Amino acid sequence: MRSGIATVFLIARRDFITRVRTRLFLIGTILILVAIAGYVAFQVLVLSKQGKVSAYKVAYVGGAQSLADPLAAAVKSLGFSIERKPVRDQAQGETEVRNGSLDVLMSGSADSPQVLVRDQFSPTLEALLNQIVQQRALDRELAGAGLNPAQVEARVASARVQVHSLKPPVGQEQRLQAVAAGFVAALFLYMALLTYGNFIAQGVVEEKANRIVEILLSTVRPEQLLIGKVVGIGLVGLLQFVVIGIFAFVVTTVTHVFTVPTAAAGIVLAGLLWFVLGYFLYAIMFAAGGSLVSRQEEVQSVVFPITMLAILAWFVAIGVLTPMFDGQPMSNVGIILGMIPFFSPVLLPTGMATGDMAAWQVLLAVVLTLGLTAAATWLAARIYANSVLRLGARVKLREALRGG
Amino acid sequence: MDAGLQVDQLSRRYGPVVALQDLSFQVGPGELFGFVGSNGAGKTTTMRIVMGVLAADVGEVRWNGGRVTLESRRRFGYMPEERGLYPKMRVLEELVYLAELHGLTSAAARAAAAGWLERLGLSDRGNDEVQKLSRGNQQRVQLAAALLYDPELLILDEPFAGLDPVAVDVMSDVLRERAKVGIPVVFSSHQLDIVERLCDHVGIIQSGRMVASGTVDDLRRGGPRRYWIEAPTAVDGWAQAISGLAVVRRDGSRTLLELADGTDDQAVLRAALATGPVHEFRRDIPPLSELFRHVVSEKAQV
Repeated sequence: MRSGIATVFLIARRDFITRVRTRLFLIGTILILVAIAGYVAFQVLVLSKQGKVSAYKVAYVGGAQSLADPLAAAVKSLGFSIERKPVRDQAQGETEVRNGSLDVLMSGSADSPQVLVRDQFSPTLEALLNQIVQQRALDRELAGAGLNPAQVEARVASARVQVHSLKPPVGQEQRLQAVAAGFVAALFLYMALLTYGNFIAQGVVEEKANRIVEILLSTVRPEQLLIGKVVGIGLVGLLQFVVIGIFAFVVTTVTHVFTVPTAAAGIVLAGLLWFVLGYFLYAIMFAAGGSLVSRQEEVQSVVFPITMLAILAWFVAIGVLTPMFDGQPMSNVGIILGMIPFFSPVLLPTGMATGDMAAWQVLLAVVLTLGLTAAATWLAARIYANSVLRLGARVKLREALRGG
Repeated sequence: MDAGLQVDQLSRRYGPVVALQDLSFQVGPGELFGFVGSNGAGKTTTMRIVMGVLAADVGEVRWNGGRVTLESRRRFGYMPEERGLYPKMRVLEELVYLAELHGLTSAAARAAAAGWLERLGLSDRGNDEVQKLSRGNQQRVQLAAALLYDPELLILDEPFAGLDPVAVDVMSDVLRERAKVGIPVVFSSHQLDIVERLCDHVGIIQSGRMVASGTVDDLRRGGPRRYWIEAPTAVDGWAQAISGLAVVRRDGSRTLLELADGTDDQAVLRAALATGPVHEFRRDIPPLSELFRHVVSEKAQV
């Protein structure tokens, strides 16, 4: 007597081989790799451009000219520079600002300068200017009161807050990279769950539509067919994910988009774990849904609720992850949402890579997802077994659960 | 003692519709059992219950005396009414896969698939996708799929539907040959001439009940005894002396007589000879198709 595992292996192998061999798989994978390469190239271009763009073209007229040197000195420490351009008078300056050959025109007195820009003034420059002007006013007041401004400033500078963090110091740069990569991983996971989930549903309906299921089920159990199909198509997804992950890791590391290879590796591994966990949960639901109908045209309508769940997960990911681009940690709401198995796959890779989620929280999310997957598998096997041989009209979910 | 397939008192309803009602029959080793009946009579339902893809409400299917299990069904060959193959798989791969699912090793599966493709004249199509084959050739692949693993029982639902005469001969030969090696073969068909030519046993099913079953000969001889007689010089009333004799119809100079039980056919012949020459005196055995029409219409009236 052959073991059930061997039967599941045979079924999974067929689904894996027939799908990996299709042109769709090859072209799809290549397109994703091209998209990643394009994204990385874009990042590299934008980063190198930012270094050049940050030279502001500034002209000074009147008393404001005395601000030129202190501003140039202050700006240098922030990593961008100011190019000083000469103008004849206020009128010529205004014309140049209007046609864009000048970014900023400064006029008025050194104590209360006027700034003219075409659109918006850089908040950084505005803050620097205010600081310079206020510093001068303060110096004057201190001198008027008979104090030495330099001494006072030294004393003031020494009074400052000391920050202690309980978390191990993660470099801010590493954190931001982890968030960005986590977001990309969430997008991939969301797309993979939908794509492979739909493959599952279509595969189930294919067997129903062309009646081969009748031959198959005279020799294998419905659960074996269900699990074999989910595993086989899942391995196709896993193969694609591994290829994409390795490619992304190599490309981002080589081009220095990722300065910290461990962060890139961490996100790839966390993404892999959650692809496997999330895939099984969603795939088993898609399979049960597919077994209710007999024609490919009906697949979309029957898996609609599951598709909506995946889309909802993606919106949750956007809501939770985008604030983290401003250096925010994952919010408590985000962590709680991450515990919900349907949302875990898109939130947990980031939570794990940034270290915003504690180990016990990650473990709890894994356990909850595994638990729900087990329950869903039991239910899906029941629905599948009761409806996969019922050809023709769509089987009502209640009938499928009750058995027939 | 209970070798072969026993179908015992199967009943099955689809909602308010009775699909099967107390259906029983058995097929012994080496027997070719033809299953005939109008559309919707319950043939497919019966076969699906035997193959375990449908459950009976009441009744049991036994194989060699024991209850049919998934393990025993793995050794059954099945050709469903709705043909089922993966259309995008290559013929050879598909057959190997199905053989492996039925427990063959990879090497044995390959050998069996290649052997059957050769036997069915499809050797050169092994690497084509199933969907590229004509309907008739797909049907051959379907038959190969049912035979690959040397099944101990064959259940074939309408195996002859849509086949050209050459393919019908190939299919007939294969079924005969399988039966000859001792395998019970059950198949359904609307082509009663094929059933008549091929089968030892026939079951006629109507509205979910078995209305007649037995050997083809028994069934055909089981009807009223009728004789064709050609006695050109006989005048009306020549046989009045014999009781239990009725004229069914006349056809030129020939007359079809129906003899009641206990009426001696030799007495009828002697009476005819007394009127002059008799050119023909022959038992009329109706073809299966006539019997089928007779049984089905009789039941329909009830």
